[in-house]
Amino acid sequence: MLTQLAWKNIWRNKKRSLVIILAIMLGLWGGLFSGAIMMGMAESMVDSAIDRYLGHVEIHSKKFKDDVQITNYIKDVKAVENAINAQDSIAGYSKRTILEGMAASAASSFGVKIVGIDRVAEKSVSRLYQKIVDGDYFDTQKRNQVIIGKKLADRLNLKLRSKIILTFQDVHGEIIYLACRITGIFKTESSVFDETNVFLRQVDLMRSLHQTETLIHEIAIRVKSAKYVPVVEQNLASALPGLAVETWEKMAPELAFVSSSMEAFTYLFVAIILFALLFGITNNMLMSVVERIRELGILTAVGMKKSRVFFMILLETIFLSMTGGILGMTVGGFFIGFFNSAGIDLSAFATGLESFGSASMLYPFLPASMYIGLTIMILFAANIAALLPAWKATHLTPAEAIRTY
Amino acid sequence: MALIELKDISKTYNTTAVPVNALKDINITFEKQEFTAIVGPSGSGKTTMLNILGGLDKPTNGTVIIDNNDITKMKPGNLVDFRLNKIGFVFQAYNLIPVLTALENVEFIMLLQKVSKKERREQAENLLQDVGLGDRMDNRPSQLSGGQQQRVAVARALASKPAFVLADEPTANLDSKSAESLLDMMEEMNKKHNMTFIFSTHDARVIKRARRVVTLEDGMVKEDKINK
Ligand SMILES: Nc1ncnc2c1ncn2[C@@H]1O[C@H](COP(=O)(O)OP(=O)(O)O)[C@@H](O)[C@H]1O
Ligand SMILES: [Mg+2]
Repeated sequence: MLTQLAWKNIWRNKKRSLVIILAIMLGLWGGLFSGAIMMGMAESMVDSAIDRYLGHVEIHSKKFKDDVQITNYIKDVKAVENAINAQDSIAGYSKRTILEGMAASAASSFGVKIVGIDRVAEKSVSRLYQKIVDGDYFDTQKRNQVIIGKKLADRLNLKLRSKIILTFQDVHGEIIYLACRITGIFKTESSVFDETNVFLRQVDLMRSLHQTETLIHEIAIRVKSAKYVPVVEQNLASALPGLAVETWEKMAPELAFVSSSMEAFTYLFVAIILFALLFGITNNMLMSVVERIRELGILTAVGMKKSRVFFMILLETIFLSMTGGILGMTVGGFFIGFFNSAGIDLSAFATGLESFGSASMLYPFLPASMYIGLTIMILFAANIAALLPAWKATHLTPAEAIRTY
Repeated sequence: MALIELKDISKTYNTTAVPVNALKDINITFEKQEFTAIVGPSGSGKTTMLNILGGLDKPTNGTVIIDNNDITKMKPGNLVDFRLNKIGFVFQAYNLIPVLTALENVEFIMLLQKVSKKERREQAENLLQDVGLGDRMDNRPSQLSGGQQQRVAVARALASKPAFVLADEPTANLDSKSAESLLDMMEEMNKKHNMTFIFSTHDARVIKRARRVVTLEDGMVKEDKINK
């Protein structure tokens, strides 16, 4: 009955209650949607980084982690491949040769990472082949083809079919010059990546290095679903104790940080909104208590304990806040759900987003756990908002409150 | 043994610029089953006396003994429970919770006493029948006349099975016909339930109906007589 009474009490002044409920609803809706956009952006950054090059798990020799040297290659590639093939949630893996070097045109030169790949294997890990904007992805058999990023092409004033000179050291420290023909130009979400990576066929690279056996510095693995990442990493790490087995989160800690801090940011965001709403709710409840001083006085007089009066006011505040909160979460949830499947086209701002490495289509989302967290936050806010009104309601003197002169 | 005993009660309000001596050294007792009117002009101290009697206010001096309990020495928390279980209250106006029906208003007091739902409902229905509102149980206060609202208030006061009912000017906001019939009903309850009623009034027609009339003037008992 106290619950029913509290619920009825909040509808005594419909207009006033609706205004505050609407305010809570709009505040949460806005907060959640902004949060979902931030989360969507973070996820897009992570996904594009994984798709572009990173993969889910990468394996290097431990020395290579400290010093990117041609000689720090993975000694027993066969063992790694056996360990990988023993896992059943692997979608694909690519054995890469990584060299630090320079790319030079007639106009200028720039420091780059030279990546030697196997065309087919690489396709099973990265989506580079989908990012070719000019030319093709090693579709012809000609020797010494190179694929470079649009940004680097612009920087070095190069076009498709231009000649480019790559410079790097061989295992003996001798400088190797390799003249290549640009057969493909890619453009990813990250302009930094486009500027600093060039891709060659592994065979061409090995021929220029006079290597009979292929040197592998990096093995990138894509798993069937992100949820398998920790398991695969653990299994491989214990199977290959001599090597550095790392997830994308360790490879790109800045990305992992962005992704995890977005959730915290969303909470912070909503907390700030709730904090502002707190004053509105408190004010609303104070007005409601002051209007009912006589009635509350009579209730105290006839024997309603302070604790019950307090509880009633608290319940009223919770009902008021939760009505707005549930509405806001529902509307926000629908909104997020709709744009999560429809996507938001941000191509108008895409140039700005590129420097963040985020795609131009945005899919806002909010993890389900967030709604639980929010409900707790709203309840918490309601408890704080109720303190002053409930204090006022319990510290009246019945004789004074009832007195009619 | 008297039901209620006021010993050397005085009350001074110090909230005003000049302190007001609202009650001056009152000594009076009330017995079970009384039907008593406290009368006197406005400002004579009726409300102050009823508030002290009902444990809503503390006297400046003196003691109030109800059923062998000195309520002036009670802790606030115990006093609330004492009021809930021992005293029924009817005020001048706005007694009821506007969002609850007549029935729920009467039930509410028993809810506070933790009476079971079934018993609550039954008791409230009986009492509303008794006060002549059997057909208005599901009406909200705003759908009832002033007289009917006061009847609900009396039913609520009785619902807690108190030792006595205090009513401060229960007819002040009623027309004379409603006032008469409210008094009829209170008298009936006084007889039927052996319930003690102490009510204040300055209405001559209401005074006539009391069996005992205590007249206050200037915070002192001027007259205490039995009506024939
Ligand atoms: N809270 C108060 N503060 C100051 N003076 C008061 C207060 N309540 C009552 N009084 C004064 O006490 C006297 C008695 O008042 P009251 O008991 O209300 O009389 P009645 O109910 O007979 O009209 C009056 O002079 C009134 O002004
Ligand atoms: Mg009075």
